[in-house]
Amino acid sequence: MNWKPNPYALVGVAIASIPMIAQAKIYTSVEQALKILLPNKTLTKNPIIITDDLQEKMRAASSIRYPFKGERIWKAADGSWLVIDEVIGKHEMITYAVALSPSGIILGIEILEYVESYGYEVAEPDWRKQFVGKTVSDPIKLNQDIQNIGGATLSCKHITDGVKRVTTLYDLALKNANPKPLANK
Amino acid sequence: MTRCKPLLGTFVEIAIDDEMQVAVESAFSVIQSIQELMGFHNPHSELSQINRHAHIAAVEIHPWTAQLIKIAKEIYSASDGLFNCGIGHRLVAAGLLPRHINLSNHDLGGIEDIHFLAPDLIKSSRPVCLDLGGIAKGFAVDMAVRVLMSEGVTSGLVNAGGDLRAFGNTSRPIQLRNPHLPNELIEIGSLENGAIATSSLYFAKRDQQRSHLINPLANTPEDAHIEVSGSFSILAKECVYADALTKVLVLSNNHDHPCFNQFSAQAIRIAA
Repeated sequence: MNWKPNPYALVGVAIASIPMIAQAKIYTSVEQALKILLPNKTLTKNPIIITDDLQEKMRAASSIRYPFKGERIWKAADGSWLVIDEVIGKHEMITYAVALSPSGIILGIEILEYVESYGYEVAEPDWRKQFVGKTVSDPIKLNQDIQNIGGATLSCKHITDGVKRVTTLYDLALKNANPKPLANK
Repeated sequence: MTRCKPLLGTFVEIAIDDEMQVAVESAFSVIQSIQELMGFHNPHSELSQINRHAHIAAVEIHPWTAQLIKIAKEIYSASDGLFNCGIGHRLVAAGLLPRHINLSNHDLGGIEDIHFLAPDLIKSSRPVCLDLGGIAKGFAVDMAVRVLMSEGVTSGLVNAGGDLRAFGNTSRPIQLRNPHLPNELIEIGSLENGAIATSSLYFAKRDQQRSHLINPLANTPEDAHIEVSGSFSILAKECVYADALTKVLVLSNNHDHPCFNQFSAQAIRIAA
């Protein structure tokens, strides 16, 4: 092991060096996520209109209040699905993808983006907008190199809730979906 | 490439300098297997079987579970009992872990009561409620690193929600969260071929949860939950030792606890 302490970070006392703010990490683009989770499959975009009734059932199953958007759903020729969703918590915003087999078994979950900040920022729609749909190659002001952050364990409970609402979506809408992709509304 | 998956109750990042997708997939799947074997949340995991049956009959376990239990016993002895996985019942009682088994909370044993009858066969001399939450993340990080190296990856980093290990000849800057303002990062140093793990309560306090840091030597639930401010990190060659020894650092509050030397570990505290 080779450890070089930062001479400016005084150990054991309050730190005087200039702090960095943990903000945003972009791991994979949507295109990469499709390839990672459903490799060698031809995927067709298959957006679904989420009725109020379905929205309410997904909310009840997952306890996520933020509405689900049905635009980022793909279907493979063999009947597998890939759903991209976001969870917005008090302290973070996470974009993730869930791949489901034709019978609804979870094949994989991948985190696309993780944006961490103070609650009031995450709650602001305008603040969120700057991160939505960014890809790894975008020259944005986010940290390009993903930082190696040590620290107390950050819970992924919100993702667990998010996956619950995706499996609810499968049960109520995808399982018996029309094989033809719906036209964009 | 850097990828991230929700595993072990947290976000696991794997970053490697090469574009070796297959190696990363294998590393994630070994972590998934460890979660399935050793997760407290899963009532069918090997850990749950140990907690349910090991005091009644011998339980056959996977070589990885056996390896982790051996390491846990080793750290238990070296720390004079400050590190003990037999604290699951405290976390269940506090609502931090699910209640799968109805345990009468008296006369529960600890990791010291687990005995090996054969390399992959254990029995417990008392009922136990083991939780591997204080050591399995570090173990999973080590196993993922081992897989990446065996697949030919020369350099990389695995980070399981703040418990991380770097391998290969690249020195990597490491940031720790400021315990007073966890959104702020402090660049604490740079690490090459080593691991660092951290225990702290800043997220528990933020989310208004009871302390998950348990003193195994306490006799009552009131004394068991340790309230600390600040951040307690351990540097070690392997992440399993770094992870487990953060608990010894929190409980002893001794930067130079003798067992750190025994495992070639080094403590870093940040005052809040």
